[in-house]
Amino acid sequence: MKKITSVLLASALLGAALAGCGGNNNAKTDNTGNAAKATNSANSGAAGKTPKVGVAIYKFDDTFMTGVRNAIDTAAKGIATVDIVDSQNSQPTQNDKVDLFITKKYDGMLINPVDRTAAGVIIDKAKTANIPVVFLNREPLPEDMKKWDKVYYVGAKAEESGTMSGQLIVDYWKAHPEADKNKDGVLQYVMLKGEPGHQDAELRTTYSIQAIEDAGIKVEKLAEDTAMWDRVKGQEKMAAFLGSHGDKIEAVLANNDDMALGAIEALKAAGYFTGNKYMPVVGVDATAPAVQALQDGTMLGTVLNDANNQGKAAITLAALLAKGETPTKENVGFNITDNQYVWISYKKITKDNVADAK
Amino acid sequence: MNVKKAQSFVTQNAIYIVLVLLIMGIIIYEPSFMSINTLRDVLIQSSTRVIIALGVAFILITAGTDLSAGRVVGFTAVISASMLQIPDYSRRFFPDLPQVQVWLPIVIAIVAGLLCGLVNGIIVSKLNVPPFIATLGTMLIVYGLNSLYFDMDPNQSQPIGGLRPDFTKIGSGFIGEGKYSIPYIVIIALVVAAIVWVLFNKTKLGKNMYAIGGNMQAAKVSGINVSKNLIYIYAIAGALYGLAGVLEAARTGGATNNYGNMYELDAIAACVVGGVSTTGGIGTVPGVLVGVIIFTLINYGLTFIGISPYYQLIIKGLIIIAAVSFDMRKYSSKK
Repeated sequence: MKKITSVLLASALLGAALAGCGGNNNAKTDNTGNAAKATNSANSGAAGKTPKVGVAIYKFDDTFMTGVRNAIDTAAKGIATVDIVDSQNSQPTQNDKVDLFITKKYDGMLINPVDRTAAGVIIDKAKTANIPVVFLNREPLPEDMKKWDKVYYVGAKAEESGTMSGQLIVDYWKAHPEADKNKDGVLQYVMLKGEPGHQDAELRTTYSIQAIEDAGIKVEKLAEDTAMWDRVKGQEKMAAFLGSHGDKIEAVLANNDDMALGAIEALKAAGYFTGNKYMPVVGVDATAPAVQALQDGTMLGTVLNDANNQGKAAITLAALLAKGETPTKENVGFNITDNQYVWISYKKITKDNVADAK
Repeated sequence: MNVKKAQSFVTQNAIYIVLVLLIMGIIIYEPSFMSINTLRDVLIQSSTRVIIALGVAFILITAGTDLSAGRVVGFTAVISASMLQIPDYSRRFFPDLPQVQVWLPIVIAIVAGLLCGLVNGIIVSKLNVPPFIATLGTMLIVYGLNSLYFDMDPNQSQPIGGLRPDFTKIGSGFIGEGKYSIPYIVIIALVVAAIVWVLFNKTKLGKNMYAIGGNMQAAKVSGINVSKNLIYIYAIAGALYGLAGVLEAARTGGATNNYGNMYELDAIAACVVGGVSTTGGIGTVPGVLVGVIIFTLINYGLTFIGISPYYQLIIKGLIIIAAVSFDMRKYSSKK
């Protein structure tokens, strides 16, 4: 009897699992169904056919890349048929997907690498198959980019996000003399860093402070610790910073919005943002909760990494290359630097231009 | 004789002595660490961890383990946050959801946690899958489900924010005034600890739990319905993770599908430091509380004095290994 129940249970579980997979499959066929329809109609049309572009995103559950992914999907309408796949944050998986794109004889590829150093191998494969490739968001090494002229890169200069978040603090500091709480002419700050060793974390940390110093303001670092991009940890680290430095802190810089929002919660708990007690807090990303905080007046500013324009530029470029055309400033709609690079700039977002981030 | 006594005292309490020394070191380095505010922060930060660790303790005492705890916390944080946003927020998870009673999403989230636990219990006791593997599987499944939910239109994997003040108050509000006020979240953790203490010490379920962890065969032979008890225990643990997830969302005023990542390991580490044996049968509620508070104190203290995060990892790793090795020595010296 027991055996039977356990067998039943096991099969029920399996059944549930299969049902789950079934759901996924359905979703997939839906996509390919649409894709097939799109290609069919393109084929039946006498005018030039819509190119097929394989898109590999490093990880589907990354907040920013989801924004880019949606922008690609929207901008692709009418110019390319896209097959967007998840590399599950694993370079080997991504390479398998690239092989699949090549086997399927796609006309172009748009790759958001998991590991920037792996781009070399992908470029070799693309060159052999003569399929142009556009890299997105994670910049391949310059020597890899030089391997072939049908390789492009679309992305933002990471250091710019740091520079801009520093400038937000500079603007506030210059406009508000009372921000120098102890009147010593030095800006005492705390820094919440992303994952240690992460390129963005290191660049944002360095360049934000450099921007403040470049503006002629002396700085003193009271504390710096990693909060792993995480809101919970941002709150806990900020509580500890407040415990050890209290009102000596004159500004909070966070490498991303989630940590900045965590810090704001800790500051609220310590009585900030009520009455006259204010603390300038800056983040990076311009996520929806951060936009809300800007409107509430708790966050001073954030920096928008322009997902829409990154996605739009990347798919436009990939579609042109797939059709065998030469991209120019006119047909892409964005400046092309050094024949291979399209740089999308960041935007400073404060309460005044909050609509730009929505 | 006295030397022997002292020796046995040191072996019995070695881990606490090491930790007291560490905390004294922090205080000597930075005397301002000793303050009411530090205590308050540490208690607040311990609250959700205590609730998770108590759930994990249930399972560790039955000689099991639960790797899914953190992901269940993340799932329930997202569930509760998704239904408790302010009406005029620009990016609502459910744009047309009315302002429901605040307790309703909380109950839904806790029930979701309970169901996750229930599934764990059924897999472990009915399908005879070892707990490590069973919960490894559910850890992945729960994260997958959470990510699917989180990626639904119109949210599409954006962090959930704009939570209602009547909800966030649970995480950030307090009774009383000023320095000596008591945060709600600490009170909730204490109430949960009291309930769990009663379950451990005053109920048949608690006695069965210790018996199963001590010797499962003996427990079976003496007529305990092991599988039924295990299912209850996993389900209770799941409900505790559910509550912890709700409180994490309320405390931070937001949620993403990455909430709770690796919390199970923190919880297991805290349990072990607090004297819960990973081989089963041993563990107390006060022990778990002490374990969690010590861990939070060290976390907070190392940040407070500005130790590099890399050293923090090394120190925490050493503490876990030391705790278990002292523990093993303690019990082997008994035998």
